[in-house]
Amino acid sequence: MKRAVTIVTGYLGSGKTTLLTHLLKEEPGGRTAVLVNEFGEVGLDHHLLRRIDEHTRLLSGGCLCCSVREDLIRELKDLLDRSQRGELPDLERVVIETSGLADPAPILFTVMTDPVLQHHYRIEHVLATVDAVNAGLHLDRHPETKKQITAADKLVVTKTDMVTDEAREELVRELARLNPTAPIVFSDNGRTDWDLLFSQEVPIASGALAADRERPVPGPESAHSREAAHSLSVTFDRPIDWNAFGMWLSLLLHSCGENVMRVKGLLDVGERGPVLLNGVQHIIHPPEHLPAWPKQVEPRSHVVFIMKSIDPEQLMQSLEAFQHMMDAKARLTALNIIRHA
Amino acid sequence: MCVLCGESILRIHWTDRKQPPESAFASRTRQRERLRRIRLLNQMLGYYGLKVDDWNGVKFVVRDKKGRSEIVHDLGDLWEKAEKLAGRPLNPLDSGLLDYLNRGRRE
Repeated sequence: MKRAVTIVTGYLGSGKTTLLTHLLKEEPGGRTAVLVNEFGEVGLDHHLLRRIDEHTRLLSGGCLCCSVREDLIRELKDLLDRSQRGELPDLERVVIETSGLADPAPILFTVMTDPVLQHHYRIEHVLATVDAVNAGLHLDRHPETKKQITAADKLVVTKTDMVTDEAREELVRELARLNPTAPIVFSDNGRTDWDLLFSQEVPIASGALAADRERPVPGPESAHSREAAHSLSVTFDRPIDWNAFGMWLSLLLHSCGENVMRVKGLLDVGERGPVLLNGVQHIIHPPEHLPAWPKQVEPRSHVVFIMKSIDPEQLMQSLEAFQHMMDAKARLTALNIIRHA
Repeated sequence: MCVLCGESILRIHWTDRKQPPESAFASRTRQRERLRRIRLLNQMLGYYGLKVDDWNGVKFVVRDKKGRSEIVHDLGDLWEKAEKLAGRPLNPLDSGLLDYLNRGRRE
C-alpha cells in the first residue's frame, strides 16, 4: 500500500507550523514523518522531523511546475528505505511543510513522476493555510499565495479570532471565488479537527456545487477579459466519452497548462461511480474511480477550471466544437472573475 | 519495459489510467478503447495534415503527408511530436481548428 503524502503550504507567517504542531500532538506515534523547509519560530517537536533544503531541477523544455525537487526525492527515498528495513515499520504518512514562498506544483510533479516514488507514495492532500488577518495583503502583493490557494484541496483559515465576523465572511467568499473546489476549515489558535482535515469523503466541495446553482452566470461583458483569472464551473448533460475528454484536456494542458491553474471535477463516464479528476497546471493526479456518486452531489459530470489569460468564452466554444466527440454538451454554470489576478 | 523497442516506460499517462490496475477488463476492451482513441485523434489531427495509426497495440505512429513519421507512446508524447511534424503549435482553443471540427460535424 502506498504511503500518503500531505503537503502543507501557505504564505510566510500564515500558521503552517502552528497547525502542524497541533496536528502532530493528536497523531499516534511513529506513523507520520515530517519534512520541513525551514525551522520557524514555533519549534516543532516531533521525533520524525527532518529539514530539507529546497533544491529544484528544472527539466529541459519544462515549465516551472514540471520541475523536480531533488531534495524531496532524496528524503522520501531515505524514509522508504528505513521503513522497508524495519526502522520505521508503521510509517503511513509523510507531511511536507513547504516554505512560505514555494509553489506546491513541483512537489506534486516530483512525487507523481519519479520512477521510484510514484510506486510507493500517493499525494493525499494539499492543505493551504490562509492568514485571516493578512490574506488580502498577501493576495495583492504575493502571487505565490494565489498559487498555493488554487493548488489546495482544503483551505485552513487561521487567526480567525483576530478578525471580525464580517471580515471572516468576506475572506471565505474571496477564497470560494479563488478555489471553488476546496472546502474551508477554520483553525482556532492552531487547533483544528484532524479528521476534518484528512477526510476524503468530499471530492468536490458540496458548498461550491450548491453555490453554483444559486450563483448567476455573469453577463458576457465581464467574461471578456483575457487577462483576468477566472474560476469556471462546467457541467455536461450526458455521460462523457473519456477518450475524447482526455484528448481535449491533455491537449489543453499541453498548449496552455501554465494558465490552467487548477482543474478538478467528477466525470460521469457512463459507469456506476464517477471518475475523480484532479490537476494542478500540467500535473494531473491519476484519475480515481469512485465506487458510487457522493450523496450530496448530483450524478452528472461537473468540472471546475481555474484559469488565467484564457477567455472563458473561448474555452466553452472549444468544448462545443469537441462535443460530438465527447458525446456530451457542456454548460457553463458559474463564472467568477478573480480579483487578485 | 516495452517488449518491442526495449524502452523503459517510467510513467503511465493519466489518460491511460482510467481503468483501475486490478480491473478484470479484458485486453479486448482496452483494444477497443485504443481504436476509438485513434479515430478521435484522426478527426482532429486531419486539420494539421497528420494521421495517427496503431503500432502493435502498444504505441502509436503519427505521420504527415510527406511521409515523415514519429513513434509515440501516449498522448503526453503525441502533442509534442505532432507539433514537430505539423510545424506549428496545436491548441484546442485555435479558432481554425474549431471551425474545422464544426464543419466536420455538420457534413
